[in-house]
Amino acid sequence: MIENLLSGFSAFGDPLVWLSLIFGSLVGYLIGAIPGLGPSLGVALLIPFTYGLDPVVSIVGLVALYAAAEYGGAITAILINSPGTSAAVATAWDGYPLSQQGKAGEALLVSIVTSGIGIFISALFLLFTAVPLSEFALRFGPGEYFALALVGLSLVVGLAEGSVVKGAVAMGIGLALATVGLDTQTGTPRFAASVELFEGLPLVPVLLGLYALSEVLFLVEEGVTAKIKSAPLGGWRTWNWKGLWSLNGVVFRSSVLGYIIGIIPGAGASIASFIAYAVAKKTSKTPERFGKGSIEGVAASEAANNAAVSGAMAPLLALGIPGSPTTAVMIGALMIQGIQPGPLLFSRNPEIPYTIFASLWIGVPVMVFIGLAGARAWAHVANIPGPAIAAIVAGICLVGAYASEGTMFPVYVMTAFGILGYLLRKLQVPLAPIILALVLGEMMETNFRRALITSHGSLEIFYTSPLTVALLLTAILAFALPAVGFIRKRRRAAMAADPSV
Amino acid sequence: MSFNLFKAARAFTAVASFSVVASLGSPVVAETAWKPSGPVNVVMHTKPGGTADIFIRTLAQSLEPMIGQPIVVVNAPGAGGATQMAHVSQAKPDGVTIGINTMSHFTSMLTNLKGTFSVDDFSWIASTQEDPIIYFVRTDSEIKSLSDLVAKAKASSGTINIGGFGPVGSMQHLGTAMLESAAGVKFNWVGFDSTPDIMTALLGGHVDVGVSNLGPTAPFFESKRIIGLGVLGEKRLNGLPDVPTFGEQGYKVDTSWVQVRGVFGPKDMPLELQQQIADAIHEAMKAKTYQDYARSTGVIDSWMGPKEYDAFVRDVSKIATKQLEAAGLLQ
Repeated sequence: MIENLLSGFSAFGDPLVWLSLIFGSLVGYLIGAIPGLGPSLGVALLIPFTYGLDPVVSIVGLVALYAAAEYGGAITAILINSPGTSAAVATAWDGYPLSQQGKAGEALLVSIVTSGIGIFISALFLLFTAVPLSEFALRFGPGEYFALALVGLSLVVGLAEGSVVKGAVAMGIGLALATVGLDTQTGTPRFAASVELFEGLPLVPVLLGLYALSEVLFLVEEGVTAKIKSAPLGGWRTWNWKGLWSLNGVVFRSSVLGYIIGIIPGAGASIASFIAYAVAKKTSKTPERFGKGSIEGVAASEAANNAAVSGAMAPLLALGIPGSPTTAVMIGALMIQGIQPGPLLFSRNPEIPYTIFASLWIGVPVMVFIGLAGARAWAHVANIPGPAIAAIVAGICLVGAYASEGTMFPVYVMTAFGILGYLLRKLQVPLAPIILALVLGEMMETNFRRALITSHGSLEIFYTSPLTVALLLTAILAFALPAVGFIRKRRRAAMAADPSV
Repeated sequence: MSFNLFKAARAFTAVASFSVVASLGSPVVAETAWKPSGPVNVVMHTKPGGTADIFIRTLAQSLEPMIGQPIVVVNAPGAGGATQMAHVSQAKPDGVTIGINTMSHFTSMLTNLKGTFSVDDFSWIASTQEDPIIYFVRTDSEIKSLSDLVAKAKASSGTINIGGFGPVGSMQHLGTAMLESAAGVKFNWVGFDSTPDIMTALLGGHVDVGVSNLGPTAPFFESKRIIGLGVLGEKRLNGLPDVPTFGEQGYKVDTSWVQVRGVFGPKDMPLELQQQIADAIHEAMKAKTYQDYARSTGVIDSWMGPKEYDAFVRDVSKIATKQLEAAGLLQ
C-alpha cells in the first residue's frame, strides 16, 4: 500500500498534473459559487476537456473540481443567504447572520479552512477504510434508508428556533411538498398539474426562492439602512488562530460523520451537513448561538459536506457504486478513459485510487489558498449597500433558477417560493425544517414503500434488522428529548407562577 | 447560463480537438452529405453524465470533423422526458436541433405523457445502440438459472423480489412482465431510480434478482460478485458469452424488447435530410474512439435508418401497449 501511495504522490512529478489540479480547483471554486450550478454539472463540463489527456491527469482535475465546487456553495450561502446546493443550507444558517454582524471575512475564513481540514481527515479515513466500510454500507437496504431519513428529520426538532408548533408546521409543509411528482413505485402523477412537476419540485429553485429571494424582499422593505461595516480580513498574522484551534473537536467529529454518511450511497453531502450541524449544536457549550451566527455551526456544516466528498469516493473505488450524483458522472469520465471503476480497480489500475488519495491531500492546500485569496475579495460583497445587493441577488436568483434546467419553469417556481418564504418569515415560521423535510421526505417515503414491497407488506422489516432498530431508536430519542424538555420547562414555569403547588 | 457554459465548453473543445487533429497531421476525415447550417444542438432528456449523455459526447468527437460543425449538447432534464421532447418538437425540422431517445420515450408516450406527445409528433431518424437487459443474482444465491427462478417463484407465490429501473410500467418492468406471462408466475417488482441503487440493493441482499444492462454490471460479473440468469434478447451477448438467452432456456418472449438509443427530430423533417443525418451518425460510429467506448460499455451497434427506425418505433409501441394493457396500466 505504501508503495502504491508513493506512486500516487509521484504522479505529481508531472507539471501537467499540477496544472490539472489548479485548473480543476479554480473552475470548481467558481462553479460552486454560482447558485444553480454545482459539482456534478462542473465535472460533466470538464469531461470533454479530458478526452485527449492521460487518465491520471484527468482524474486529478476532476477530483479537485469536485472538492472545490462542494466548498464553493458556502460563499453565496454566507454572503447573500443563497445556498446554491442543499449541502450549503446549513452553512447559511450561521454564515449569513455572521455576515450581517460584519463578520463575513471571518465566516469565509472558517468555512474554507474547515472545508480543507474536512477533506484532509476524511481522505485519511478513505485510504484505510474504503473497502470495509463500503461493504458495510451495502447493509443499508430500504428499511435502513427509511430509518436514516427519519433520524435526519428528527433533528429538525432540535434545530427549530422559537415555537415548537411553528417548527412542526414548517416540517409538515416540507413533507407535503415532497409528495409532488410521479409516484416512484407506480408512476402515477401526484399533485402534478403540469408535466414539469413530474419529477417533483426542483430543489435549486426552491432553495433560491425560500432563502435568497425572500431576503431580497426583506431588503426592499427595509430600504436604505445603516449597515454594519464588514471587518476586512487582515493578513494571516491577524487571524484568530486560537479561535480556529478551538474548533478542532467540532471539525473532527463533523469530518468523521460527513465521511461515514457520504459512504452510504443513498445519503449525501446535504444529509451529512444537516446531521453534523445538529450534533455540533447538541455538543456545543453555546448551543444558543446556533442560528444566530455561530462559528461552530459554519465549521460543522462545511467540514461535513466536504468530508462527504471523500466518503462518496469510497464505494466508487471499492465497489464501482457511486456514492453521490457527482461520482456517478465521474464513473462516466473514467469509462471514457477505458477505466472501469469497481472491485477490480485496485488490482488492475492501482494508480487511479492512489492518485485520488494523493490529489485529495495535495488539493487541500491549493483549494484553501484559492479560497483564502477569494475570501479577501468576497468579504467586500458584504459591504455593498442594501438596495444594490437586493438587485444583484434577485438577478442571481433568476439566472440560477433558469440555469438549473434551461427553461422558464424553475424561474416561476423560484418566484413563488420567494413570496412563500417571505410570508413564512413574516409569520416567524422557520425555513430550515421545510428544506430538510423536502430533501428527506422523498427519501423517506420511497424507501418506506420500497421496504414494504420487499417485505410483502410486513412491518417486520423495520424491527428485525439491528441497524434499522438502532437508527429508529435514535430518531425516537431525538424527537422525544426536546419534547420532554419542553413539558418540563412549562411545568417549572407553572410551578414558579403558582408557589402553592 | 448552463447552456452558454456548455456551448462555450463544447466550442472550445471543438477548437481544441480540431487543432490537436491538425497538429497530428490530419487523418482522413470521411465527407458526409449532411451539411448542417450551424452548430448542431443535441437535446438530452438527462442531466450531464448519464449513459445516453456519454454516448452523444463520445460520438460528437468523430461526428464534428465530418459535418464541419460543433455538436452542442443541451441538457434538458425533467418532467419525465417532456422538457426535452417539447424542446425538440418546437424546433425547425432543419436538422440543427435533434434529440436522443431511449425506450422510455415510447412507454411514457403511452402512459404519463399520453395526450401530451405521441409517436407522430416526431421524426424517428436513426437507431444507434441496442442494449439488451440482463437478469442476475448474487453469486451465493440459491437461484442459478431462469428455471430455478421460475421454480422458486412458483413455490413462494410471488414473493421473489426483482429490483430494476423505474416504476411499474417502465421498460425493465415490462420485460419482467413478459417473463411472468411466458413462465406463468408472478414476481414482486421493486422499482429503483438508478442502476447504482439496484446494484447496492442486490449486493446487500435486499432484493433477490437484479435487472440492468451489461455496461454498468460488467465489473461485477468480472469480479464474480454476480452471475447472470438470462439475457432478454435475440442472441447471447459478446461480453457475456456464458449467459443464455431467455429463448434458449425455453421462455418465449418478444426479443425486440431491448433498450435502444436513437436519434429523433421534430416532425415533417424531409426524408432525404433524415437519411443524411442517419448516414453521418452511422459513419461517425465507425470511428475508433467510438468503437472503443461502445465495446467497453458492452452495447451493440444498431444501424437502422429513418424508414426502418420509424417502423421499429411503431412496432415497439404496439408491444408496449399490449404489455401495459396486460399489466392493467392502460385505461
